[in-house]
Amino acid sequence: MNAMDTDHEEVSAVLPSTTTSGLSIALHPLPILNISEHFIRLKLQKQTPLPFTLGALLGTQNGREVEIVNTFELVLEDDDEAINHAFLVNRRDQYKQVFPSLEFIGWYTVAPIPTSRHIRLHSQIVQFTGYCSTPLLLILQPTTNLLGSADGTSQNLPFKAYEQTIEIKDRSSRSVFVEASFNVETGEAERIAVDWTAKGGGSGTSLESHLQTQRAAVKMLYDRILVLIQYVTGVIAGTIGSLKLVLTPTFQVLIYLLPAEVPTDHGILRSISALLASLPASENKTFREEFNTESEDVQLTALLASLTKSTNILNDLVDKHALLTTSREDRYGGGVARRTRLQMGGARLGGDWH
Amino acid sequence: MANTALKTFNIENDIVELSPQDDIYKFDHEADKKIDRESPWSKDPHYFKSCRISAVALIKMVVHARSGVPYEIMGMLQGKVVGTSLVILDSFALPVQGTETRVNAGTEASEYMVTYFQDSQRAGRPENLVGWYHSHPGYGCWLSGIDVTTQMNNQKHTDPFVAVVVDPNRTMTAGKVDIGAFRTYPENYTPPNAASSEYQSIPLSKIEDFGVHANQYYPLEVEIFKSSLETQLLDLLWNKYWVNTLSQSPLISNRAYAVSQLADLNQKLSKVQSSVAGTKASLPVPAKDSKDGKQKESLKEDTKKKENELAKSVKDSIKIAAEAQHGLIAQVVKDVIFSIRPGSGLQADTSQIVESMNIG
Repeated sequence: MNAMDTDHEEVSAVLPSTTTSGLSIALHPLPILNISEHFIRLKLQKQTPLPFTLGALLGTQNGREVEIVNTFELVLEDDDEAINHAFLVNRRDQYKQVFPSLEFIGWYTVAPIPTSRHIRLHSQIVQFTGYCSTPLLLILQPTTNLLGSADGTSQNLPFKAYEQTIEIKDRSSRSVFVEASFNVETGEAERIAVDWTAKGGGSGTSLESHLQTQRAAVKMLYDRILVLIQYVTGVIAGTIGSLKLVLTPTFQVLIYLLPAEVPTDHGILRSISALLASLPASENKTFREEFNTESEDVQLTALLASLTKSTNILNDLVDKHALLTTSREDRYGGGVARRTRLQMGGARLGGDWH
Repeated sequence: MANTALKTFNIENDIVELSPQDDIYKFDHEADKKIDRESPWSKDPHYFKSCRISAVALIKMVVHARSGVPYEIMGMLQGKVVGTSLVILDSFALPVQGTETRVNAGTEASEYMVTYFQDSQRAGRPENLVGWYHSHPGYGCWLSGIDVTTQMNNQKHTDPFVAVVVDPNRTMTAGKVDIGAFRTYPENYTPPNAASSEYQSIPLSKIEDFGVHANQYYPLEVEIFKSSLETQLLDLLWNKYWVNTLSQSPLISNRAYAVSQLADLNQKLSKVQSSVAGTKASLPVPAKDSKDGKQKESLKEDTKKKENELAKSVKDSIKIAAEAQHGLIAQVVKDVIFSIRPGSGLQADTSQIVESMNIG
């Protein structure tokens, strides 16, 4: 690993992927979309395929758990080498006023991999912000891997997160980046907004769209299960070879196509069996009670709706009947008095049937 | 043939293309100044027909609105004018929170607005302020009396300007974003035909405010757009957050709102109770009957108002029930998938369900 580094002309700024950071990062969709929008905008303005994009990450950090919630752009000076600190502080304070819980937790840029230039920028951030002990680096990789997913297998988002660390080698230390894995989390409102824009913002009846969303999610689950079944049947038949699966507890299956044969991964089989053993997911008396109460409440509202509707129809019927009765008498010169009597007691209609 | 050759070229050279749909993100200073000079909107109060909002602006607004519940929040919109449509490219929040958004957002907020706007210009966002947004948590997308005054002011001084309203509570229950864009008519202008808008269920406390001002503004059609890169990212994102779709339950997250809706319905119904005895049916007016016809017509209009109270409550209650049913459907689906013991009687049903999903 280290020997290879010295052979290259430019020393790699990233530690090889066998080392990973201990941070657990939760990334929201909003920063992802913000960064891509910033990138596209700069591309259009400067008319270059890879403009240098730079911005700050906002979020919360609790020990080793980091959540990236929002972003804003940063201004560079000195020919794209130094960060304008005044701007950063101003913007950050402005965001603090509106979202007091968000902190400055790192920065983002667009590049295939981090380089020494990023290390220099990173050190500027570290020395400047006293509050942020370990700022993160989030990178958008603008390659054409985005296009064309191989037979519907899940693709990774073209983002990578890095944490800074010190590498000690030959008695000299230098800062490098070490990759950190991240998950995507959403708040409920965020998820709905993202979902809605993904569908183009149209509107069907709300039942339709709701069912469609549910169906899409369940279909995803089903597809993933199919993959697992494929794997297990392959193992049984002894023909498994070129698939390597990584199964995370949250059911996200990352599939890598490897050129060579790999032996059956007992780890995978163990996780699958653990998963199956945990079904049924909730056979608990308290849960059942809660669940039943909830469905009863929902059905009660449905009952309320139909009761109200029937009341309205009944009222309508009574009124129409009253009107018919009145008008018949009216034609024979009934007079105003009868009409006012009827007005006062629609419910006492029975008494007026002479 | 040429197409595949181009694609291979692109892949080999790592070129990320900009598709035409991304053109909207380009800001053309010249075109902007030109249309500003012409200002066709000052001549025609009905000039703007639609409002196109970018995905980023929308999500920011929804997240901000949600974070502010139960208070109303407000913010500004940046964008430009394209034809008869106001294009909104970005939004930012203002540190104003309160019971009612004031006619002039206080000095602190104005300062914030100006600084933020100037900074944006430096950071590569040259668009102007073209609107403001605020939230109506739980009571729908429309303009209240104060909102109408604010917007009329805005349109007088800083046209082109649009007012966007978002309701985070309705968004959560309905499963789609509840958003509306409006422009007010200038004073002393009566709209030709008060177009009847889609019925919205509005809580009792606000219904008067809604009714009084409903004719002073008109809604714009709302469209969402996104760049090609965003479309790809959203597709990829779906791979990650479909789990959340299944795991989040709107019934649980919206309990407070659902309860308040039921309480409101209760109030409406008790109000109706006193007046329902006095409702009268309207006679279908026969065409020939001229003398009686006039009398009956006035009767018809009179009773229409009273009738509608109960009918409106019916619509409200149906809406509440429908939304609750959506939540329950989600729960039942999850129950079926995850809580069936293998070998139990329900096995046959689940295999049927699985098969039908297979087809789809």
